[in-house]
Amino acid sequence: MENRQEKLFELLDKSGASLYALLTRLTLREDVAEELMQELFIKLSNYKGLRKIKNWNAYAHKAAVNLAFDWRRRQKRACLSLDNVPEIASNEKSPLSNLINSEESQEMLDAIRQLNKAPRQAIVMRYIQQQPYEDIAEQMNKTTHQVRALCHKAINRLRDLIGK
Amino acid sequence: MSNIDENEILRRLEKLSQIKPTHEATERAINRARLGFSWGTATRSYKIKSPSPIIKFAAAAALLICAGYIIGRVSSAQPVDIEQLRAEIEASLRSSLAASCEQIKDELHQQVQRDLTEFAAQTLAASTTATDQRLIELIRLIDAARMQDHLRVAAAIEKIEMDKEKLGNGLQALATRTNELLRTEQN
Repeated sequence: MENRQEKLFELLDKSGASLYALLTRLTLREDVAEELMQELFIKLSNYKGLRKIKNWNAYAHKAAVNLAFDWRRRQKRACLSLDNVPEIASNEKSPLSNLINSEESQEMLDAIRQLNKAPRQAIVMRYIQQQPYEDIAEQMNKTTHQVRALCHKAINRLRDLIGK
Repeated sequence: MSNIDENEILRRLEKLSQIKPTHEATERAINRARLGFSWGTATRSYKIKSPSPIIKFAAAAALLICAGYIIGRVSSAQPVDIEQLRAEIEASLRSSLAASCEQIKDELHQQVQRDLTEFAAQTLAASTTATDQRLIELIRLIDAARMQDHLRVAAAIEKIEMDKEKLGNGLQALATRTNELLRTEQN
């Protein structure tokens, strides 16, 4: 039990910022990302098969992606009016740019949510977390060629979903 | 066919990858996560976890069943109390028949009265006729008896007259004989 806590503290110190940034990118809301961050670590601390995990960092990121897209699924974005669109975490300063970026980003994330689990994971790791193909392949137990193919198919699928 | 090209997708994905939370927010989130699992008692208010779909479905089903049961209990007919039903029907019939009962009673009374009067009149008439006939018959019988008595009296008188004649004749004959006997003796 103590060992588990130590590992989780270590993970939090090492990858906490990265996990929080990922959650923020996938939810576009800092407050929700904060909630999900806490939920992620509570889940990790309660997870019984934690001993079997070899790469804690990869596992935590995968779990964070799933949590974020679960949250997105629960949200009825279609029900939100423009007045209710929260201010997203963005580097842009113009409100109009923020709004446009928000709409584009929401649309993209909703499209990613509709992908299957493996392509979704690959797209997030490659294009949102900006990880090299080799790292992704290692984390997903695939070859780099398979990961490239997965990403290519996922991009085409996103084109279909967004271009509808 | 999609009207959006691959570069646009990549551009949007890159924009997403450039989003960075503030340093303060990151610190706050990390501290909150640390507190959450180190204390081991994350308060429910901090959680945004919602019940699993199975629990939601079970709860919805239970609510539905309860609602159905309650609606059924409320809307279903109560068990029939025969005695109460009979009393209610009786009271209803009584109240509905109360007015007409009086009217029917009056009519019946009048009808009986009329019938009795008619019957009495008929009986009286019949009785009078019968009595008259009996009286006439009685008178006839009395007349017949008187006539017969008269005939008998007349016959008796006639017999007496005849007997009287016979007696006179006998007495005369006796007198004659006696005279003759006396003369004979004198002779």
